[in-house]
Amino acid sequence: MRRIAKSIVATAFVASALSAEGSIVAAKIGNDVKPAQLKSSDKLWSKAKESEVTLYPQTTIKMNDKKGNAANAENKAKVAKVAALYNDKCIAFRITWPDGTQSIQDGTASDKYPDGFAVQIATNFEDAKKLPYIGMGSEGRPVLVHLNKAVTKHYEPNGNKDVALQVNRDNTNAFGDDLKKFDGDVANAAKTHYMRSFISEGFRSMTEIKDDSSKFNMTMDYDTKGKAWSGTLGRPLSDANIDLSKAGAVPVAFAVWDGEKMGRDGLKLLSTWIAVDLDGKKGNEELVKELTEAPKGNAESGKANVEAMCTSCHTLSKEKVAAMPYMAPNLSNIGGYSTAAYLAESIADPSAVVVPGYNRNAHKNFAWYNVDDKGNRTSTMPPMMTDKAMIDDAVAYLKTLKAEVEK
Amino acid sequence: MSKRQLAMVMDLNKCIGCQTCTVACKTQWTNRNGREYMYWNNVETYPGDGYPKKWMELGGGFDAAGDLQEGIIPNIEADYGIPWDYNYDSLAEQNLIGNKADKDGYGVHGAEKAGLRPNVEPTWGPNWDEDEGKGNFPSDNYFFYLPRICNHCTNPGCLSACPRDAIFKREEDGVVLVDLDRCQGYRYCIAGCPYKKIYFNPKISKSEKCILCFPRIEQGLPPACAQQCVGRIRFVGFLDDEESQVYKLVKKYKVALPLRSDYGTQPNIYYIPPTEAPAKFDAEGRIIEGSQRIPMEELETLFGQEVHEVVKTLKGEMEKRKKTGESEILDLLISYKHSEMFRLDNNYYQEVAKAKGAHPLAPIDDRYVKGKNTTEITHFKAHA
Repeated sequence: MRRIAKSIVATAFVASALSAEGSIVAAKIGNDVKPAQLKSSDKLWSKAKESEVTLYPQTTIKMNDKKGNAANAENKAKVAKVAALYNDKCIAFRITWPDGTQSIQDGTASDKYPDGFAVQIATNFEDAKKLPYIGMGSEGRPVLVHLNKAVTKHYEPNGNKDVALQVNRDNTNAFGDDLKKFDGDVANAAKTHYMRSFISEGFRSMTEIKDDSSKFNMTMDYDTKGKAWSGTLGRPLSDANIDLSKAGAVPVAFAVWDGEKMGRDGLKLLSTWIAVDLDGKKGNEELVKELTEAPKGNAESGKANVEAMCTSCHTLSKEKVAAMPYMAPNLSNIGGYSTAAYLAESIADPSAVVVPGYNRNAHKNFAWYNVDDKGNRTSTMPPMMTDKAMIDDAVAYLKTLKAEVEK
Repeated sequence: MSKRQLAMVMDLNKCIGCQTCTVACKTQWTNRNGREYMYWNNVETYPGDGYPKKWMELGGGFDAAGDLQEGIIPNIEADYGIPWDYNYDSLAEQNLIGNKADKDGYGVHGAEKAGLRPNVEPTWGPNWDEDEGKGNFPSDNYFFYLPRICNHCTNPGCLSACPRDAIFKREEDGVVLVDLDRCQGYRYCIAGCPYKKIYFNPKISKSEKCILCFPRIEQGLPPACAQQCVGRIRFVGFLDDEESQVYKLVKKYKVALPLRSDYGTQPNIYYIPPTEAPAKFDAEGRIIEGSQRIPMEELETLFGQEVHEVVKTLKGEMEKRKKTGESEILDLLISYKHSEMFRLDNNYYQEVAKAKGAHPLAPIDDRYVKGKNTTEITHFKAHA
């Protein structure tokens, strides 16, 4: 009898977990469909249930752009709607997020920025408690990032030896038809999309994949009436960088940039790790549980401890600013984009994941970590808490640190 | 910090603001492919707003504690100035003063015919305030020219601001470069550089900057701005090469100072501060003996407290020269020969190339190849 009761509780838990914030169900579609070709308006998306994903302002580190910082100082969280589809070969996401202005980088200004979005996937998630750091992975825990931005024609260096096309038309010797041909060749050399994928083990280490080993497709469409972007990503379940073919659930995170607010790089909104449950596939139940479970600790007592022990280095909110603001990650949105497991791990063993932080040259007197001869990084933070209950309480409190949602 | 540091000294007493350096740089590097608005080398009138407009007020650099400061990214139209063009067809029509707007917007709407007009209404550009300076003409007005390139700082603000580690300082000679493969066009480097000498190329969506003409230097040619300078105001050499005139001016005689060293980036372009200006005139137009047209406070702003000592040394040397006919400092500043002003240590670069497994390139010119590691080179004997 007791056993039955237990299993009922467990089932109830799983059912509620699937609809809770922190997970998305990817609907299975036929193998004839190539998700890489799905546009945001495709009817197939109606098969997938849209889930809400909250995107929080990145405040871990402050960038050095004065106007950008001012534009983003009062950022609130946004709610995006995410749908996912998969079949035996591919997986696809559609993310729709509100954005009052359509910002497109058109290749003429030095101070205009595009809207954009990114989808981040952990390359290894066997241990659900040791996912990569949310901000573009961490050492030994790489992530794959697919990025798209709203740009018009641009001419990034391409190694195609088309330097003759880089001169201005006035500087060519061409006239008449030759000049028309020159203009045509220049137009052909332009790129009109900005789809990129990166491998990253912590921000700053992010490196673009340029060897064609990452084949994917992204689209971005702006709904001028609804004032929202809709972006899609379609990619194979497996390629040289990542293998999702055996997974039952996959940790995915989303980020969006607002060009109007000079968003790029760290000036963005991002989600925490979201478990994308591949409907009908078994495996990785632990991951779903880990990412959807509410923290167990007592946030009240956690608050007292964290405020007493952490605020000399960590900023907790606009009111609770660190005594040394450059010394450590700003935690004012940490509850929005960090997982409970990451927080617990970092409190108990600060060097397990070392956030690269600022360029070490930018704030030399506030090194977040030390590097030994072999390149091993040791966090400057000592292990502050060892007691399990105390850590749980701190995590419960830290999970409450996040911006409110924009209405 | 790099193993060695290549540096440049510019003698502001001799700069005549002819912009030959600017044009040399522009035709070599920035007249194409999204760089049209950039001046890696510019010569601005000081006091003045400079280029980009009011660059000294745009932030960046480090505070006294060594923390990188926030900065502002300038706007192309308002702060740099866009290169405008003309409707040259009107020349063929011999119509220079017509006022009609054509289909492309040249000229003024409502007039009969378009004359020679810029295609945009320019509101700012490099040298917009050329020769304006400060004070009242002719009694006490003053200005001097300030040529500026990237300072190839020992502690670069741009490098420190880059969240992608796309900017690096070359180990062999301290030249600061952008790795265009890593650059994602975030532009924090522009906010971080207090001199605003790194630019965003909107066409390729990446940052670009002065490269100290390293492809020329590696082959024994001085940077284009320095070689073309008609006033021979620019010296180029390694700071650890005691035979180089750069070393002598910066380290031995200490008459060359970095620009705005208070920004904390440890710049490696040095200036001989301007000491020579006509005296002021009184209300009747008579010379006020012993008056100083360029206020020392202006020089202090640019070069710090050390400028007092430097001006004293330079004035002293001039007196000495008048009396004895001797002065090594003035002999250096006269810059008799290019071959003495540039010491590019070609054997060193050849060794660096070999160590990297690259094919060392033969020097193009034998006049500037001498250096700490180059007394003789394999191709020909360096001039004594």
